[in-house]
Amino acid sequence: MNSKSKAPCIPIPIEGPISWEDWLKGRRFRRESSQLVAPGVIRRKRGSSDRRLKKLFNGERGLPFTPTEKL
Amino acid sequence: MDPNKIKSALADITAERDPTLKSLKMASLCTALWAERGVELVVVGGSAIEILTDGAYTSGDLDLCYTNQAALPLRERQEVMGLLGAKGGPRNWEVAGMFVDVLGAAESFARTPYRRIQGPYGEVSLMKPEDLLVERVLVSFYPEKSETARKCAKSFIAVILRGGIVVDWNEVRRLANRSEYRNLRECEELIKEVADELKIESPLHSDSH
Repeated sequence: MNSKSKAPCIPIPIEGPISWEDWLKGRRFRRESSQLVAPGVIRRKRGSSDRRLKKLFNGERGLPFTPTEKL
Repeated sequence: MDPNKIKSALADITAERDPTLKSLKMASLCTALWAERGVELVVVGGSAIEILTDGAYTSGDLDLCYTNQAALPLRERQEVMGLLGAKGGPRNWEVAGMFVDVLGAAESFARTPYRRIQGPYGEVSLMKPEDLLVERVLVSFYPEKSETARKCAKSFIAVILRGGIVVDWNEVRRLANRSEYRNLRECEELIKEVADELKIESPLHSDSH
């Protein structure tokens, strides 16, 4: 992660909806924040839906995540 | 919803390769269609945490619950999901290259509102972060320690502490003291651990009331 990132913090508020555009703009900040304490992909390795998931996602449990720098 | 709009939305969601965007777009479409039949859906669990944090946590299924008393009869569920070309049912479906699960009534104890995002096909409700946080900490410790749940909880806490999600800390404290959770000490410890890593003060001190 780039420690010099200037990704904007756009809070998801308690009251009222956040717009689609603001949610998109805030993605990178949220990802960077989460990665500060739990780096990498933290998706569970196993789960009760493995059979159907791995069948649909070519042996994985879901689609690959978009890299932080592309958010 | 107009059939052409549904078709266009499905094409968009099917082509979407970002799992978080795909999930949120699908939640937006399902919420709009079920709302036309009087049922309010809310995104719950890990699916909600992913949309709130972008923490690279969720798998390829979207978990939804309903928030009001109305529940669609099985036949209507199959009909509404049939509009999307879904396979399976009546509680989980494969649709547009992912899975959608409608799990039943939402379990929420927080007095704060569901968080809302103006999605591309209609507004999406997300489970309250106060509920999600206390629940995720609980799952980190019980029935046995779970490293994956702990990482998810820490990631969620970090986004909150850095201001990406606004929460009501009094509600977090109240929920963690409720008989359903009884995990205030674990919440305080994990939030302090993350706050220390971020070099900021924890808002959930044991002496802060």
